[in-house]
Amino acid sequence: MNLKEIRELVELVAEKGISEFELERSGVRLRISRNTGSSSAEALAEQAELARTAGVRVAGVQPSGSQQAGSFSAEAGTGVSDRPEALHVVRSPMVGTFYTAPGQDAPAFVEVGDDVQPGQVLCIIEAMKLMNEIEAEIAGKVVKCYVENGQPVEYGEPLFDLRPSVSSHQETDAA
Amino acid sequence: MSEPTLDRRLDRLIDLLAENATVVVSGTRLAAELRVPQSTLWGWIDRLRSIGVEVRGLPGSGYQLAKMPDVLTPQAIRHRLHRGQFGCRIHHHYKIDSTMNEAARLAAAGAPHGALAVAEEQTAGRGRLGRSWFSERTAGIYFTLVLRPSLSPAAAPVLTLWAGVALAEVLSETSGLPMDLRWPNDVLVNGKKCAGILVEMTAEPEKISHVLVGLGINANHSEIPRELAAEATSLRLEAGRSFSRLELLIAVLERMESYYNRFQEQGAGIVVRRFCEISSYAQGKRVKVTDGSGVVSGVTAGLTPEGVLLLRRDDGRTEKILSGQVRPE
Repeated sequence: MNLKEIRELVELVAEKGISEFELERSGVRLRISRNTGSSSAEALAEQAELARTAGVRVAGVQPSGSQQAGSFSAEAGTGVSDRPEALHVVRSPMVGTFYTAPGQDAPAFVEVGDDVQPGQVLCIIEAMKLMNEIEAEIAGKVVKCYVENGQPVEYGEPLFDLRPSVSSHQETDAA
Repeated sequence: MSEPTLDRRLDRLIDLLAENATVVVSGTRLAAELRVPQSTLWGWIDRLRSIGVEVRGLPGSGYQLAKMPDVLTPQAIRHRLHRGQFGCRIHHHYKIDSTMNEAARLAAAGAPHGALAVAEEQTAGRGRLGRSWFSERTAGIYFTLVLRPSLSPAAAPVLTLWAGVALAEVLSETSGLPMDLRWPNDVLVNGKKCAGILVEMTAEPEKISHVLVGLGINANHSEIPRELAAEATSLRLEAGRSFSRLELLIAVLERMESYYNRFQEQGAGIVVRRFCEISSYAQGKRVKVTDGSGVVSGVTAGLTPEGVLLLRRDDGRTEKILSGQVRPE
């Protein structure tokens, strides 16, 4: 099970409003538990962060039944929300240095609060002078930026939280 | 925009003159071939002269090239280039903002692996992080290749080393001057930069959409602006003679493709090993590395299989250097 599969599972669980999910496969146990009462970015970010850690661990040998493998539950929720907010977490596809702007004196690509469109550049990750422009995959609002300009980032590390815009499926919608 | 059309027509005019280099071609015939009035043709001939193409005008009879021009027209490139993927499409401009911008536009419009954007002059040549690249008209070679590698984004940074290895080999063979590689992407001759490499990637989390590899080669610059003179030079200044830009471009493209194919077949090791053979910076060099978070000093201790620089710091710890500026201490 790789990071992508875990991420897809987390997204699926979030999307369908499932509160708890457990999967055991090839000696790896993954449990996703959602706090449906809270939709704060923090809780989801924590999930995402732990998902990443789990993803890394899964790559190694993990004894069967270990709770560590995928136990990244947030606290059990009490309230029931009929439409939980799912944040889209933008992650670093590689190890490198994070840049918020195309040049030293240039304005940042995006700021918290900005609306972004699919394909819009959010930041650059540099490694060995290869500049990787990270683009938004969805339309939404930037609600959180995890990393400061010029700081190193790891593979899979969260960079931004985007709140998907309601009209994200409407291609013709103006920015 | 009429500019691309004009570029194509200027290319055609040069090709016509070159194909008929041994004879005088009448203005009437050239104008007819290009389907323009003679008055337009005169303007174009002037334009070619302004970029250094030597066209003799013979009153009453026509035009003839005084010597073969060193202009990178698609036809001239295709005529010489081995049949491969690099240069499968050639987009040539006399003046453009930056071949990186042009290649980005081409890639977004679906340009295939190997498509080439090349310019005689850049008005906004780009270096890393928005730094400008001095792009004297027709003296340098400015081009960007569009690549669509089947690599994971995390494995792509070695492409910077790949371009440097191919470039250093060709420049050294052509000029007879020893070339050095300063990790990761500077090609140096006598300690000064004579070529720059800029690599930009657009990728989804797990899949590369395209990589743009931009090269600027200071070939025939007769002088370097004072503010750059301590850091930069040209092949002509170092070797004391000029070089055919066309021949350099062809050789670089072919070497890049040959290493690219070997890289795909054999993995990054082929590039990293060759880099270490060429570069005085790879092993045992005392350097300081500056990046956003500060400066570290130490002695270089080789490269990882992925091409990451190892630095043995003064406190004995070995650090992996992924970014930052490496300079001798």
